[in-house]
Amino acid sequence: MDLDADIDIRPAPAFSHASEAELARILDFYTVGWEYEPHTFPILFDRSGAVLESFSPDFYLPELDLYLELTTLKQRLVRKKNRKLRRLRELYPGVQIKLLYSRDFRALLMKYGKLSLASALTGADGQTTPPRVRTGRSVTETTRAGARRSRAEARARAVARLASASLIDAEVTA
Amino acid sequence: MTRRPDLTADVSEILLSEAQIQAKVIELGRRISDDFAGRELTLVSVLKGSLPFMADLMRSITIPVQIDLMEVSSYGGTATESSGLVRILKDLSSSIDGRHVLIVEDIIDTGLTLNYLVRYLRGKNPASLQICTLLDKPARRIVEIAIDYRGFEIPDQFVVGYGLDYGEAYRNLRFVGVLRPEVYLDPD
Repeated sequence: MDLDADIDIRPAPAFSHASEAELARILDFYTVGWEYEPHTFPILFDRSGAVLESFSPDFYLPELDLYLELTTLKQRLVRKKNRKLRRLRELYPGVQIKLLYSRDFRALLMKYGKLSLASALTGADGQTTPPRVRTGRSVTETTRAGARRSRAEARARAVARLASASLIDAEVTA
Repeated sequence: MTRRPDLTADVSEILLSEAQIQAKVIELGRRISDDFAGRELTLVSVLKGSLPFMADLMRSITIPVQIDLMEVSSYGGTATESSGLVRILKDLSSSIDGRHVLIVEDIIDTGLTLNYLVRYLRGKNPASLQICTLLDKPARRIVEIAIDYRGFEIPDQFVVGYGLDYGEAYRNLRFVGVLRPEVYLDPD
């Protein structure tokens, strides 16, 4: 089986952080298909139902139906991110998402013998990403449709839960 | 890594003793022998880390087995590797078409390598494909993998020994130990 058969070359998305570009390269290497911030999930609404806050996980892996969120902030600074993730899990219980913390990313770099890059790829130092051409597996129309469908289903579930009014609040974004 | 490894001083604690490992290997061998009795089984070891585990496990299995070895390159972040050209460093020597295959791993953490291997081996039409790992570090999992035979679930610590390395050293330890952080945080 040639796992590289459907490799394509596309312009790289504009990653907001160097760590995201590195994670994309790792996923490419292991031929795990990914999309960068393809979906935005409303996670906070006012009483009229207007969206006050949304969350766009960094990566979606269509073949695994899994979202990855990478944060390289120091552990004490990830409270807001944790709150968003909790909210997303409450509203969209069918959505699988993993949060990779700074320590997880450092462990990943160490595993691949690249720990020396950790400081350059994390925190404020990693804010800028050099341009590159992405080499990765193409996401088929089937998996794209599946991703759209699962997002629509998750949204429908969230709306149903919101209809119960118990989750509609006016939480102030931190 | 430029400093010379010290096989004794660089390990802060023994996580799994030789006796614990051997007892678990015998238990796994017994289970595998029972489960695959009467079937054509091929053990596929993933080099280099699983070599000691494979050597002990195959001798604990009491049914006829064939063995094969694979080596898969790890991500290194170079342009060549990112292009996806360097991956299977050593492929299977024999066909696994129609055979029951058990992948023998030393450790599963992110699941990325194994996810790739499973997809690769499924393409070779085995009758079944299962996974046996000595160590499972679920805290590091990115890709979920169904593990059929698991030796030990271990905490999120950097471990070496019994095949596991840091900078190609420590593989020959007879136990699994925790590497002192100063070894990899300040390798010089």
